[in-house]
Amino acid sequence: MSRKLTREMKLGGGILSLYVLWALAWFVYRYFMKGSISRPYLPSLDMELELALPFSHGLILGADLLGRSLLEVLSAGLTYSLSISMIVTAATASIGILMGYMAVKAPSWFKLVFDLLINLVFIFPSILIAIMIMAVAGQSMQGLIFALIITGWPGYAKIARGEAKRVLALNYVEGARAVGIGELRMFFRIIIPSILPVMIVNMVLGISGVIISEAALGFLGLGASPYSWGAMLSAAKTVLLEAPHIAVILSLTMAGLIIGLNLLGDGLRDYLDPKES
Amino acid sequence: MSKLIKKILYAALTIFVALTAIFFVIRLSPGDPVETVLGQKATQEEIIKLQTQLGLNLPLHSQYIVFLKGMAKGDLGKTIFGAKDVKGLLKERMGPTVTLAAVSVSLSAVIGMFLGILAGYKKNKGFDNFSRIISLFALSFPIFSLAPLLVLFFSIKLNLFPVSEWGELKHLFLPILALVIPLSSVIMRVTRNKFLEEVTSQWVMVTKSKGLGEVAILLRILKVCLPTILNVVAIQLSVVITGTMITETIFDIPGMGSLLFDGIQNRDYPIVQGVIIYSTVTYMLIYFLIDYINEKIDPRIQS
Repeated sequence: MSRKLTREMKLGGGILSLYVLWALAWFVYRYFMKGSISRPYLPSLDMELELALPFSHGLILGADLLGRSLLEVLSAGLTYSLSISMIVTAATASIGILMGYMAVKAPSWFKLVFDLLINLVFIFPSILIAIMIMAVAGQSMQGLIFALIITGWPGYAKIARGEAKRVLALNYVEGARAVGIGELRMFFRIIIPSILPVMIVNMVLGISGVIISEAALGFLGLGASPYSWGAMLSAAKTVLLEAPHIAVILSLTMAGLIIGLNLLGDGLRDYLDPKES
Repeated sequence: MSKLIKKILYAALTIFVALTAIFFVIRLSPGDPVETVLGQKATQEEIIKLQTQLGLNLPLHSQYIVFLKGMAKGDLGKTIFGAKDVKGLLKERMGPTVTLAAVSVSLSAVIGMFLGILAGYKKNKGFDNFSRIISLFALSFPIFSLAPLLVLFFSIKLNLFPVSEWGELKHLFLPILALVIPLSSVIMRVTRNKFLEEVTSQWVMVTKSKGLGEVAILLRILKVCLPTILNVVAIQLSVVITGTMITETIFDIPGMGSLLFDGIQNRDYPIVQGVIIYSTVTYMLIYFLIDYINEKIDPRIQS
């Protein structure tokens, strides 16, 4: 692999590592210095601090509506957002690969069902279905993850189906089959490694999609945590006149993460598939 | 003709499956709508009353039949609070949403195609690189973070537009801007890439060697690009629908989005279900319409 890393990839990777470092640093700080990450973060509820501007009262980014340090709430949101989106992306991609492969390999009537299922769910307006699920399920973590997974897998399945079709027609796969390789071994040792590059590109781009979807749900009051960036933005828009810095800082932080992911994804795509660029 | 009938049947089947899926997804989701509405302290009587009101006391298959009968009649049920007709509420609130969505989609298509072709023409020059950066930024601010920033800049800093009023033309400006920025960037990128793909192809060479003018060639390329662009619009439509709804809650526009938001806040889930079903069906109808138009434009597309 002597191909040159693209500038996009370096920039995107750099931005993303900063965010990951930030999340890790916050996790370590909460876990080792404040005891536990699972214990809800209590607001100081100090009226003095309410909507404090950045660099006042010893708070770097100021405070939010409840007088909590904006930096801390923002970090909690980052950790929450990153972990949810990675869990969901890993799950949706796995389901997608399995379904896509089944749509190519399964017995014919089964194949039809998988094909139809993928096409149907793909044209579903996914975020609307997620809203529906969350409205019924109430604001629970299981509900959120269920909603995001059930609406997210068809995109991966479509790609996996196309890739599996392509790979199965290649010479070395035929060779492997001629040697008498088992179905499971075929799937894990040959199919997965050959479709992984394309899947990874889509997973990186998918993570930013999940972050946006999760925040959109949070914005509508359907998130699973008060630390969802969407929920915070929804609160920040009510005090846009008094404390514009909250909305601005939140937007920029979120945009930075999404830019990092999109740059990395685009760069990876160009890197892995030079004919596209 | 029989092909059209086949298409219509397929669309009807898809919509039927979609409605069925919505029905079952709601019933199989973790969590209980009755408990979500009433909270955990509700008495047994209240729970049974609400279950009967929502028809949740029936066995699943009878619920499904009742649901399908309602759908066939276009009946979306009654709200939990006030027992208003959901369909009537939707009719009242449809206007602003449809206006917003239609205006911003058409504007984005025009702007996006124009800028996309411009970027393609000036490949790897100033404007192309500029457009790349702009679209990267435009896609990184989801509508609920973009809209507050626009309000901050145009309404609070420059004092140009009112934030939360509805009725006059100038009130449309900010919400539409918030919707057009991301959508037109997507269309711009797609148009640019498709344009570059076509512009080097052989048939363009032939038309050029035949001595056709720049504009005539451009129009032909545009026609070839159109199905791809329409396809992107179709896929983006679900983003537009949710985007419109979120925009409405930010600018206090009395449309379907605000209705949905109120429904969510009050846990009035027949309203939520009604809005979702209505927009899903509308979305799918437009999706199939675009699919059909695409095949008319370019007979090579046969899905």
